[in-house]
Amino acid sequence: MKKLSHILGMIVILGMLLAACQPAPAPTEAPKPQAPTAAAVEPAAPEPAQPEPTEAKPAEKEFAGQTLNFLTIQPHNVAAQNLATWFEEATGAKVELIVVPYDNVIEKAVLDVTSGANEIDVIEYWYPGLGTLVENDVLENLDQWYVDNASWLKPEDFFPVYFDTFTKIGDSRYGIPYDGDMHLLWYLKPLLEKYDLQAPATWDEYLNVCKTITEGEKGEAYGCAIMGAKSPLILIGTYLNRLGSFGGSFFDAEGNPSINSPEAVAALEALVEQSKYALPTPSAVAFDEALGAWFSAKAGMVEFWTDLGGMTDDPASSKIVGEWGVVPLPKGPGEKGRVVASVNAGFGVGVSTGSQKKDLAFAFLSFIANPEVAERYNTVVGGIDPVRKSTLDNPAFIEFVGPAVAEAITAAHANAVVWPTDAKWFTLQEPLTDNLSLALSGDKTPQQALDDTQKAWEEILGK
Amino acid sequence: MNATIEKHTPKLMVLPTFLILLIISLVPLIYILSISLTNSTISKPFTDFVWFENYKKAFTDEVFGTSLVNTLVFAFSVTTIQTFFGFLLAYAMQQERKLGGVMRTLALLPLFTPPVAIAMIWRLIYDPNQGLLNYYLMKWGLVSGVIPFLGDKRLALPSIMLADIWQWTPFCFLLCLAALQSLPKDPFEAAMVDGASGWYVFKRLTLPMVAPQIIVIFLFRLLIALKVFDLVYMLTFGGPGNSTQVASFYIYRVSFKQFQTGYGGALSILVLILISVLATLLTKGRETILKRIE
Repeated sequence: MKKLSHILGMIVILGMLLAACQPAPAPTEAPKPQAPTAAAVEPAAPEPAQPEPTEAKPAEKEFAGQTLNFLTIQPHNVAAQNLATWFEEATGAKVELIVVPYDNVIEKAVLDVTSGANEIDVIEYWYPGLGTLVENDVLENLDQWYVDNASWLKPEDFFPVYFDTFTKIGDSRYGIPYDGDMHLLWYLKPLLEKYDLQAPATWDEYLNVCKTITEGEKGEAYGCAIMGAKSPLILIGTYLNRLGSFGGSFFDAEGNPSINSPEAVAALEALVEQSKYALPTPSAVAFDEALGAWFSAKAGMVEFWTDLGGMTDDPASSKIVGEWGVVPLPKGPGEKGRVVASVNAGFGVGVSTGSQKKDLAFAFLSFIANPEVAERYNTVVGGIDPVRKSTLDNPAFIEFVGPAVAEAITAAHANAVVWPTDAKWFTLQEPLTDNLSLALSGDKTPQQALDDTQKAWEEILGK
Repeated sequence: MNATIEKHTPKLMVLPTFLILLIISLVPLIYILSISLTNSTISKPFTDFVWFENYKKAFTDEVFGTSLVNTLVFAFSVTTIQTFFGFLLAYAMQQERKLGGVMRTLALLPLFTPPVAIAMIWRLIYDPNQGLLNYYLMKWGLVSGVIPFLGDKRLALPSIMLADIWQWTPFCFLLCLAALQSLPKDPFEAAMVDGASGWYVFKRLTLPMVAPQIIVIFLFRLLIALKVFDLVYMLTFGGPGNSTQVASFYIYRVSFKQFQTGYGGALSILVLILISVLATLLTKGRETILKRIE
């Protein structure tokens, strides 16, 4: 036994020596106060095709010849390409995009810094991963940057729900809000009218609409498409739409897990019941499957983000141009029932602590944060939804998305519910995802699934 | 002196290669073993030494248990089917001169295709609403409603197996073909002269002579199948429920989604032990089978 202990001790010491030999992350500088570049605070540049007689020659641009690496997600590739083009026009710097699937962005950012690779300069991050990024020392602290740039940044213009949730851990800020994604309920007018149905205002009505259409269409179409594929972003997002409106929450006011509260269980029971009539089968329905059914008029309703209207009105991919309507998510039952808009899949942008080009990275951050640049990327198809009040009030944006969508977004902001951003969340969301999927597949009852999740969360949090 | 040097020269020549291989093999193993005894996270390795706590946790982790069972079911099923069909195809094609070349080229296609592309193809095939499989099943009247191949917990794992069988059967086919073509011709010619039937030749000559290679192909393929990851990641993400959760994917989730590298390391070591035990048992089994054949 003593010999075994010696051997194990030697192995551990050897392992520690090896760890000590691994490349350490580059020393991080304290975030420098970064005055916005001239290009960043000036009004947005005109469209690329138009000549700009007043613009400086390329050789005189501040960052000409430099290259920046921007980590972005695949669904935002077009928006990131636009930003890269505009930033190069304004500063001369080339922006290389590192595009990853939406559910890999946090691990990619963490691994880049912890491995010492330090390839990434600016990170677009899914906001529930903010705590994980901060705990792993991946994002620069932006407190001083906010102080120094407050005059043009206009932080008060950000919707509070995005500003604090997407950027703040403790008393410090680590990013800027970039994409304000929340769910609304989209419905296909002809299909509902065929059965003399109205867009549902409650989850009971939702079930009735879904059931009526599915039974009536006999496999030709379905009343609703429910995204229940086993990915945290998808499945927890779908559940949060119900959890919030039924009056439940992940944690109680004291921060203790409350995932098996009566409201939470009722919300999951509703989801399981609705899934019986949904596009087959929710457990295998992710974005692609839901969108495919929606665009081909096979789904009467879908819970989706605020940019779906623009995509649906593209005749190249959609058969239902102009045939849709949008309303807030249905209200839950009982006294605690309310209308909510779940902030599923919002994104922020921050500067990597591993960046070797901090000045350039902060200049790009300033460029993205510029209200006028935001107006540009919010009024082209690219999947970026407004995070500023001024963008939502802007006539150009209202014209771009249509008055109905703009109105629904405005109403939704008052009822936003958000995901936790604590550093433990990425550990907590895995047992929740497992158990939600087990409830949907019928392996566990909703009560069992959420009791097991509660137990797992209490163990993880040491409660 | 010269004789001593001459005697040890071959060993000295091999020593650098041996040392490099030893370091390449052992360093990651020691690293993982060390980290598995700690509560490490991705950015804080070797923190909080906990001895065997991670291993204890693994033995009570239901999802890990399910993932091991799924991995074994998957690996043994697909390997058996792939080796069987690979051998059948190879045996049939062995005699076929004209089609043989075409078949070998076709067989290479799934091997050349990136696993992600294969998974995407099968995801489209299985799609309940716009997929080819449901379309033809319904068109031919074989089913009345759509079948959620990846959304039904009873069908999800077999559906992934089917994709894997499509992808890897050609690999077994090519290796079996090479094994068959390497057999000496004399015994077969002698059997023909003696008037032996085709079945007799297969049973008494081909099968016993090719069995050692087939067992190696089975073992080789089994070890690859035990590490399945890409199809699960692309097709089901381990769902519905935990019906397609496999060990590699679960370790990935623990290590790179939850960033618990200490626990992920312990799970990796346990899987390594399991695979090593299996490989040893199967190698022993191979020796027993070969003795019986002899």
